[in-house]
Amino acid sequence: MAENKLKAKGAAFNELSSKEKSKKVIDLLLNNAMYIIIVLAVIYISIKVPAFIKLPSIVNVISLTAAKLPIALGIGGCIVLTGTDISAGRVVGLTACISASLLTTTFKVFPNMTSAPPIIVVLLLVLVVGGLVGLVNGFSVAKFKLHPFIVTLSTQLIVYGIILMYLMNGTNNGQTLSGLTEGYRSLITGTLFSIPTATGSVAVPKYVLYSIILVVVMWVIWNKTTFGKNMFAVGSNEEAANVSGVNVSKTIMMVFVLAGMMYAVTGFLDGARIASANANTGLNYECDAIAACVIGGVSFVGGIGRISGIVVGVLLLQIIFAGLNFLAVDANMLYIIKGLIILIACAIDMRKYLVKK
Amino acid sequence: MEKQITSSDSKNVLLKMEGICKDFPGVKALDNVSLTVRAGTVHALMGENGAGKSTLMKCLFGVYNKDSGHIYLEGKEINFKTSKEALENGVAMVHQELNQALKRNVMDNMWLGRFPKISKWCPLTSEKKMYDATKEVFEELEVNVDPKTVMSRMPVSQRQMVEIAKAVSFHSKVIVFDEPTSSLTEEEVEHLFRIINMLRDRGCGIIYISHKMEEILRISDDVTIMRDGQWVATRPAKELTMNEIIRLMVGRELTNRYPVKDNKVGDTILQVKNLTAQYSQLRDVSFEAKAGEVLGVAGLDGSGRTELLENIFGIATRKEGEIYLHGKQVMNRNARESLANKFAMLTEERRATGIFGILDIQANTTISSLPKYKKGPLLNDKLLSESTEWGIKAMRTKTPTQKTQIRSLSGGNQQKVILARWLLTEPEVLLLDEPTRGIDVGAKYEIYQLILDLAKQGKTVIMVSSEMPELLGVCDRILVMSGGRLSGEVSAQETSQEEIMTLAAKYA
Amino acid sequence: MKRKIAVLMVATMTAASLAACGGAGETATTAPAAEEAPAAEEAPAEEEAPAEEEAPAAEEAPAAAVDGTVSVFYYTYGDTYISSVRSALDAAFDSAGVAYQDYDSNNSQTTQTEQIDTAIAQGTSLLVVNQVDTGSDDTTKNIIEKATTAGIPVVFFNRSVSEEVVTAYDKAVFVGTDYEMAGHMQGELIGQYLVDNYDAVDLNGDGVISYVMFKGQEGNAEADARTQYGVEDANKVLADAGKEALSFYDSNNSNKYLVDQGGAWSAAAATDYLQTALSQYSEANNNMIELVIANNDEMAIGAITALQNAGYNKEDGSATVIPVFGVDATDAAKDAINKGTMIGTIKQDAEGMANTISQISQNFMGGADKFAEVDSANVVGTWRVNIPYATYTGE
Repeated sequence: MAENKLKAKGAAFNELSSKEKSKKVIDLLLNNAMYIIIVLAVIYISIKVPAFIKLPSIVNVISLTAAKLPIALGIGGCIVLTGTDISAGRVVGLTACISASLLTTTFKVFPNMTSAPPIIVVLLLVLVVGGLVGLVNGFSVAKFKLHPFIVTLSTQLIVYGIILMYLMNGTNNGQTLSGLTEGYRSLITGTLFSIPTATGSVAVPKYVLYSIILVVVMWVIWNKTTFGKNMFAVGSNEEAANVSGVNVSKTIMMVFVLAGMMYAVTGFLDGARIASANANTGLNYECDAIAACVIGGVSFVGGIGRISGIVVGVLLLQIIFAGLNFLAVDANMLYIIKGLIILIACAIDMRKYLVKK
Repeated sequence: MEKQITSSDSKNVLLKMEGICKDFPGVKALDNVSLTVRAGTVHALMGENGAGKSTLMKCLFGVYNKDSGHIYLEGKEINFKTSKEALENGVAMVHQELNQALKRNVMDNMWLGRFPKISKWCPLTSEKKMYDATKEVFEELEVNVDPKTVMSRMPVSQRQMVEIAKAVSFHSKVIVFDEPTSSLTEEEVEHLFRIINMLRDRGCGIIYISHKMEEILRISDDVTIMRDGQWVATRPAKELTMNEIIRLMVGRELTNRYPVKDNKVGDTILQVKNLTAQYSQLRDVSFEAKAGEVLGVAGLDGSGRTELLENIFGIATRKEGEIYLHGKQVMNRNARESLANKFAMLTEERRATGIFGILDIQANTTISSLPKYKKGPLLNDKLLSESTEWGIKAMRTKTPTQKTQIRSLSGGNQQKVILARWLLTEPEVLLLDEPTRGIDVGAKYEIYQLILDLAKQGKTVIMVSSEMPELLGVCDRILVMSGGRLSGEVSAQETSQEEIMTLAAKYA
Repeated sequence: MKRKIAVLMVATMTAASLAACGGAGETATTAPAAEEAPAAEEAPAEEEAPAEEEAPAAEEAPAAAVDGTVSVFYYTYGDTYISSVRSALDAAFDSAGVAYQDYDSNNSQTTQTEQIDTAIAQGTSLLVVNQVDTGSDDTTKNIIEKATTAGIPVVFFNRSVSEEVVTAYDKAVFVGTDYEMAGHMQGELIGQYLVDNYDAVDLNGDGVISYVMFKGQEGNAEADARTQYGVEDANKVLADAGKEALSFYDSNNSNKYLVDQGGAWSAAAATDYLQTALSQYSEANNNMIELVIANNDEMAIGAITALQNAGYNKEDGSATVIPVFGVDATDAAKDAINKGTMIGTIKQDAEGMANTISQISQNFMGGADKFAEVDSANVVGTWRVNIPYATYTGE
């Protein structure tokens, strides 16, 4: 059946004139440009530095991708609503600092504490904190009809102030938080499983699993729930959504709360992954996350985006990061290459939504 | 068949389009279409939606690039690349879907893209010149609008007038009117016709696209009919009858424009008492509606017809008034609540408040009834696609698949999708605001049939329309609004257009 | 009384005509120029109030020790080391009874300059500036001009400013560190450590130590110096001991360092970089990175995390330790060194810097010699105090 379809397609293709054929091919290439770029990049880097496609390197790229995914998954929803969220990085910072200050052996922020609370309690706490910031964002966007850029610009500053105050607490004096408990670190960075190689073995860290779970959860939320469908409707046409009986305010708030919780997860993972947290933690994380979403086809037009696209976007950025390091490309070039990729990705993406003339 | 207008008129020919072809991926939108417009005439272009009228005009206007064929303006071959080029060469178009900068004022919109400069040496835009020039055109056209009014504060009909004035201000030789009357009241239509006649007398060639037979027969000199992207016929208007046009357009006989009314009106289920709006002029409207009844709402534009429906549905703020369904008071404070109370509303502005353009048919169909498709906490794909399939079948929507973006469908098919969306919520009271606006004759008939079918199922349909024959043909009773108040209630069988017009003018 | 003096000070500073009525009246009766008034005030102070008298006065009645408000501008609150200086300086001012206001310039010179304008407009009596743009003489000149016009002293600290600009204004000083010194000391520390443990560090036994260098930021004088001397000076020590020079782990990298793209000297950057590098360079491939040098402790800690994830530098001492060196001696780094996961760092003396700034501020405001009570061994010329560094390799 599928074969027949393919054949029919092939036959139809053969009937086209050569001009139309080449147009179809170009369309096909452009519509899959991101995948082609990834493949070409990987091939090029692997020829130059064969170690790039060896197992340790692949595991490295996957774990880097896993670490940067949650924040992008959160911000993606905000972009679907034609908005954005620039408070993301700071929320990551705050939640990382909270995690690191509680799941520690030194308790500099809370000198009166003697033992770390259960990890699950801390996770729930940061989820609540992230969700609260998201609620403030969402409430302001939904109820005051402010642009998300303005709202999150404000909350970003507020959260930064809170981080600075938080770090001055107790005997910490603004110092970097470290000395994390072994339980916390091993829960995140411990070995999920090891893959034996010719020369030893490569360990895949546990947070890769957590990221995969989050991807699945977010995919279900986006595609299989009323909330997800409502989110796309609101992003596509807020007025029509209202008339259709969608609770627009609630949808917007939920998108931001969910995003805030994803940032909290990022902070929770990063605290242990980097094994330290300070006022700079999370700084500018939202830039990469937004870039990844946009590269993955989550469009600022609104109402458009897929979880798979976000994963591809994050992956591409990490391949570029790791690949350019393998190639020992000058750091300055990295900025330029990244900028060009975002620009090209957006241009190609936009092409799909322009009315053909 | 007659080829073109007779050769004796050829020296009079202003615009000639020959053998125009245009392909879209998978569709032959225009197949060897020809059109000849004589100076000083109104040339009607007719055809069902999707027949290719708009595409043909967009090829002329430079919005689309034609694949083959020739276009001659006053004997000179032209091929506009942009609409700006077309405008500068004397071809203007009043679009069906108004694309205006709503947050800017009238004169900004008039002169957009060609703002007058203070002088050659001072390249700043001149507000005064803009104002005076706008005023001048308005006076000529008897349009009574202050050029400094912000567009979004004006009713659709006035915005349309601005669009027409803009076309006139280019001193165009050819002006295309794409369904200009779909949002105008009878009175405004008369005004428009005066303008068109004036332009014709000046020697302009007018291309007039419309679905309204009466208008076409009244105003046009020649009629070209298209079907499925092909030219069907071009004839002098006086040789045509309404049924003949329909036959040519549809390719089959359509004896009746309205389906047989066989709905049975039951008991009163809806009572609206003293409805008064907070932010619009709607005040003190009371009426009752019965099960299985089609209740029409007539009135001039701005008479509060739309506001009445919006206040019942809770998307406009109510100041006073009570609504009872089956004798029980319902609050309907917002769309969600109304939905839960088994109300449904099809809005007037399909593009702005109806469709989710970039989403697919399935999303557009199921958005209002999502909880129905849950299995546990998650939505079930099978249920979603079954319901969508039902919607497509029941409405006879023409779409390749459920996953097609709704914006690629024609207006009539979009309307059917939205109707399906509301029917899936199993409403008892359906509020329809201009349900057939911008929909072709064949599809209109289908919508009427759907409305009557709903009534037969015992639902109450309240339908606002600017087209009086439509109200008379489909409704059981008609409420007439005037100046925000209810000025009368008539039985559709016994009343006449004149009676309704008199009532509509009561408080206006 | 206090208020009167405050009014007097403001008046003097702004060189209003009132200056003639004050205590300094004897020296200037003919409306002095802005620059002259404070200078004139300073001169008698030196005669009447020698350092011994000033200090006890401050102890007896801290609240009355000096009048006016000190405005302190930190380049960013986000910097861990600067945070230590801030809390130490706040404490020093509090105990000395000096009123002060802290500003966070948030890594923006524009913000800082505007904050300085605001503070001067409010009538601050002294500026303590942690300049954001290092290596920009124009910025420093600009700040000094503002101070000169207002007739108030300015104390620069931490981030370096150039000698010629500071010496041009007699009421400007710089409290810093010899910023090149940290790099030199780090290099020597590394060199010495390697000479002592050469074979243990040289994991593949090829006689060459391969290293990675983490640079905190591009275009920062301190980062440049540390990146350069951290390796150069280590090589000198190695050469003296007859060992091979250090070799950057990736021979294709012409920079010989990896820099934080965000310019934040951040741990996360080092973790990501090293994790990526370790996926290619490992003991199994016989090309393991054998030494980690970082411009600051943040990045050193980040690198240790990546090493730990790859099975090195375990806290329980069960695994090979790749030597990691940083600068700053933050609490986290000291902790790591004491646990054996890090080898050494260079201590920037935050408290010493804060106390010196506090002392100089009081000297200025009290009219004493600006370097009174400051350890003369650290004073450089008439413009600068260097707070010494120290190596830290555990307690």
